[in-house]
Amino acid sequence: MHEVLLFASVPVHQHHELLQQLAGLTAMQPRHCLERRLIFKAYRKPGLVAGRTGASQDIQSGDLQRLNKMLNGSMYYTQVVGPVSEKDFGSATDSDTQMDGTDETPEAPRYDYERQPWKLEFRDIPEAGTRSAVTSRQMSSSTLPSGDIMPTMSAWGYSFVTEHVVEGDLFIHNDITLFLQRVLHYPAGQEPSQPRQQMPALKDMTPLEKSGSYVLQASITVQDGSNQETMKTASQHLFGLREQLKSAVRLEQADRLSLDTRAK
Amino acid sequence: MADSFTLPLRPLLDERDRPDTLPAEIAQINNQWGSFRDVNEDVLRTKIAEEYRDDLDEDEGDQSASDLDSTERLEQLYKRRKDIIDFATQAHMEAMFAVDFVSLLLSKNTPRQAETSMSAFLKQIAPLGSLNAEVVNPPPKPDSTTKDISAVSRGWRIQNFNGAANKLLQAASRLENEVASETRYWNEVLTVKEKGWKVSRLPRERQALGVQYGFLEATPVFRDRGLASLRRAENGSLILDKGLIPPKARFVRVRVMQDGQLAGRSKPTSPTNDEQTIESRILQARDTLYEEELFHELVREARATANYGVTTRQNLIRIPASDNLEILLDLVDVDENDLQSDQDISQEGTRIAEGLSHTIRILLAYAHRQNLHRRTLLPLPLTPKKRSVPEHQLFRPALAYIQHMSHVLWLQSFLKDIFGVLHSAALDIPAYTKHVFSTRIAQTSSAPTAEAVVERFLTPFESTFSGKLLTPRGSFSIAIHTNLSSPSFGTSFDVSCNMPNYPDIKSPGRLSLREEVQAAITHLLLLDVVFTTSSNSLPPSKPEKDTQENRVWEAVYPQHGELVLSSSNPERHRKIKLALSRHELSLQTYTVRCIDGTGRGKWEQPSQTPKQYTWGTPSASTHSLMAVVSEASS
Amino acid sequence: MSTLTQEQIKVLEQARQRLVQLTRSLGSLITSLHSSDPLPPWSSLQSQASIISNNLLSVSEQLSEQRDLFTSLVAYPSPEYPSRTQAPTLEQLLRTKLDPRVEDWVARGRAAGTEGGLSQSTIPSPSRLVEAESADHKLSEAELAQLWEWAPLEANQEARRRNWGGNFTLEERESGIQNVVTGLRRQLEDDLGSEEEESEGEGEEEEEMDIVGVHRKSVGGGLEFDIAVRHPHPVQPFVPLDDILKYMTTGRMQ
Repeated sequence: MHEVLLFASVPVHQHHELLQQLAGLTAMQPRHCLERRLIFKAYRKPGLVAGRTGASQDIQSGDLQRLNKMLNGSMYYTQVVGPVSEKDFGSATDSDTQMDGTDETPEAPRYDYERQPWKLEFRDIPEAGTRSAVTSRQMSSSTLPSGDIMPTMSAWGYSFVTEHVVEGDLFIHNDITLFLQRVLHYPAGQEPSQPRQQMPALKDMTPLEKSGSYVLQASITVQDGSNQETMKTASQHLFGLREQLKSAVRLEQADRLSLDTRAK
Repeated sequence: MADSFTLPLRPLLDERDRPDTLPAEIAQINNQWGSFRDVNEDVLRTKIAEEYRDDLDEDEGDQSASDLDSTERLEQLYKRRKDIIDFATQAHMEAMFAVDFVSLLLSKNTPRQAETSMSAFLKQIAPLGSLNAEVVNPPPKPDSTTKDISAVSRGWRIQNFNGAANKLLQAASRLENEVASETRYWNEVLTVKEKGWKVSRLPRERQALGVQYGFLEATPVFRDRGLASLRRAENGSLILDKGLIPPKARFVRVRVMQDGQLAGRSKPTSPTNDEQTIESRILQARDTLYEEELFHELVREARATANYGVTTRQNLIRIPASDNLEILLDLVDVDENDLQSDQDISQEGTRIAEGLSHTIRILLAYAHRQNLHRRTLLPLPLTPKKRSVPEHQLFRPALAYIQHMSHVLWLQSFLKDIFGVLHSAALDIPAYTKHVFSTRIAQTSSAPTAEAVVERFLTPFESTFSGKLLTPRGSFSIAIHTNLSSPSFGTSFDVSCNMPNYPDIKSPGRLSLREEVQAAITHLLLLDVVFTTSSNSLPPSKPEKDTQENRVWEAVYPQHGELVLSSSNPERHRKIKLALSRHELSLQTYTVRCIDGTGRGKWEQPSQTPKQYTWGTPSASTHSLMAVVSEASS
Repeated sequence: MSTLTQEQIKVLEQARQRLVQLTRSLGSLITSLHSSDPLPPWSSLQSQASIISNNLLSVSEQLSEQRDLFTSLVAYPSPEYPSRTQAPTLEQLLRTKLDPRVEDWVARGRAAGTEGGLSQSTIPSPSRLVEAESADHKLSEAELAQLWEWAPLEANQEARRRNWGGNFTLEERESGIQNVVTGLRRQLEDDLGSEEEESEGEGEEEEEMDIVGVHRKSVGGGLEFDIAVRHPHPVQPFVPLDDILKYMTTGRMQ
């Protein structure tokens, strides 16, 4: 599959208004999303992995083949993405509220790392030298087993780099997916060498961009990237959107190197 | 060359060789007007009067007021334009003379400069410097001249001030009117907005305002039509410019035909209101748009269900519903119903029509919600081929419901009949249990209640009938499934039974015709009766002879309802023949001459006239079946 | 009788130049009238009319300034002029009689300015009250002159008290524009009021325009949305978009 994209930076003071504008444009309410994003990096030369992993029984064989193919091509950064909800985040003030003696309060549903669903999101470096003013890259996405994915990933030759949370709102405009998002950092502390089992309080998460600005990403996926006609249609749809939004934000092609997923 | 000759500028008309002959003309007149015999003065006079009137009408039609206005205005415009050009040309000429004069005068002193502004004509005829000037002491002007000049200038000043003042006043009052009507317009727009309508700019005409009354999730054609511009009348009142929406309110009418007769019809969804407030006009436009979309979708659905016998012709959809019911759907003006009499309308028919009418509207609203749901899902990857939009389910669920109910009622009445027959023969078959619309609903549906309720209606319908048989541990069940939404349209009956005594008997399984179901059940019950008869312990026969004698009715041909009570005497085998139908259970007893009494047909060789008993008919036997069997055994 | 002095020639030369300008502007009006159907846009017509009017004014000013010279100047053909063959042209050039249409125009002015016309010279009723009072009152010449002297100044003063253009009236501005109910969501610019503020925030504002891509000017030009209004506290991102994307891709900024 292919993906064509445009990006825009959205200052925090414009965020609320843009949400309303996008809701008007797409005639839908924003869908709030929180995602854990784990970044992995290949440490092994390709071709060494046979795809024999203990924990991957739940993966269907088709997925497995695709995984093998995309992971064994070259050395890449790749992301493991898991949806979370607000109540998955722990409350640091728990102990405070329980000071009033009501210890019997029913336990709030806790974050269960063992049941966290994951998806492997692979993105190639954007294609170079395209004359079109959109970012276009090869992509693939497959389901991973829930819970601890470290064994799976290391079996494939991937090591954990870091993780962050992406928070944002999703809109659908015909075949365009609009995601108004920003990166949240975990509270400062030692950087763990594997994904967290517990989630801190959401309010303790800090935006990567200190002013709190957002990134608007508009994307269309294309089944067959080699079909020039479809790729052109997708770009044109994005240009149409760019035109419609031009008084609000400036959607642009991203710098190719900033989306370079190759591991050196 | 004194002789001039003329060239014709028009083509010469061919002279006719000879004039039409009279007979030809008469034939023509006969053809056009009929025989001369029918012509009299009166006829001709009316004819003339008619033609005259026609001419008048045409004249009036041609000269519509607005046409006249615009051409007149255009004429006036060009006249004024000509005036302006005339004045300007005149002024230009005068100014040119002045320039020429001064230039020529100056050409004596500063020839090079002066020459540049001389007209070509003057340069040609007058040598440079050919005009002299001297300063003289002019005689003083008479007082009257000075006065005259100041009078003229004052006169014009007054007039121009007056003119300017008038124009300003006119402009001010025009502005005032404009402000008043703008205020009115915006107030009305605001009223519309405060009622909750969405007011926005028109996409194609950005200077104009529009009100959005359509449905965002409707089919694009109808969604895009759901916008009317809010125009301003001269006095500022709001005009709803609906474009494509017909001015009359329309609705989808549901009619129910029973045996070809009108049995019921639905009423318009919204009452026609005569008070023409903007709000009511918007509402009417919205309702009509909804009805048009509804009909459009119904036609689409009807085409997709053509294999089911649904036909569309001349904006009329005909749906064979069940048995003797037919549903007609059409899009008509709201007042169309008033023209028809209410004869023959039955309450039942009206109930069905109204029910169906509400159903299709609720289902379209549901379809809109589904559209919203669909379009806000993560989009599928782009592929070259277009995805077709499936037809909405509008009348199919209702139709399925009607059909299903009809089948349930039929089965119920059939079982009632046949159980009645058995009861009248004193066979105590236990009452069956039924679950009408027993479809189990998945409780996990996260949809809002309104949608969950509708979803229920869209799943295939199922009703089950089950009961015990006379045979111990014997049971039967019938499940009726009706499904009009996905392939394998229609109703099917799942008949199954459990007969421990006839292990060979397989459940009939899936049947689709009522006749088959009836036959299967009847057969099943016959077997049941046969078995009951054979397993019924008989009173011991007269003890004198072999007590070893087998005193059991043996079901030799259960599927034919035949039982034999063998006897040691090959001449005296007794035989019973049972027959069961929906309305009747009959029994024949006779003796046969045969080695073991198993012969059938011509090998049966009855040795006496059979005795005949029936149950379930007016001339029914008053004895119970078992009593008759006992009697036959002795 | 004397020939022209250098000074006088200069005056004539000025007159010539002004007349040439007038001729040109009339000529261009005619051309533009001829080249458009039915009429050139009203704005261009109006500007041409005012150019012509200014040219006329400048000619007329000079005529009255140099009145003494022009009334005492006599023009006559020199012997070089081919009077025999070109008499009509000469007549045309030296003509002092008015054109019949102009004559007519003068007559109408005379009629309005003398006895009959004086009845019209009541105050052109700006308000009904005045009209009622002065219905029968005819202004004397002196009163008229006084009125004309007073009116332009007064009108000008009145005009200056108004804010022509802008989003608020002077009254609204005086009672505080924050109290005005416009019904609009977006903030109207107070274009006259706070110039200092504007100049203060200018630098930032331009920056914002660059990044957000706001195009204020095109409000009338058809936008899909209300444009992003200037926020009271604009906060620009510190981290460039590319770095954020880089981080999202590799978990590192560089």
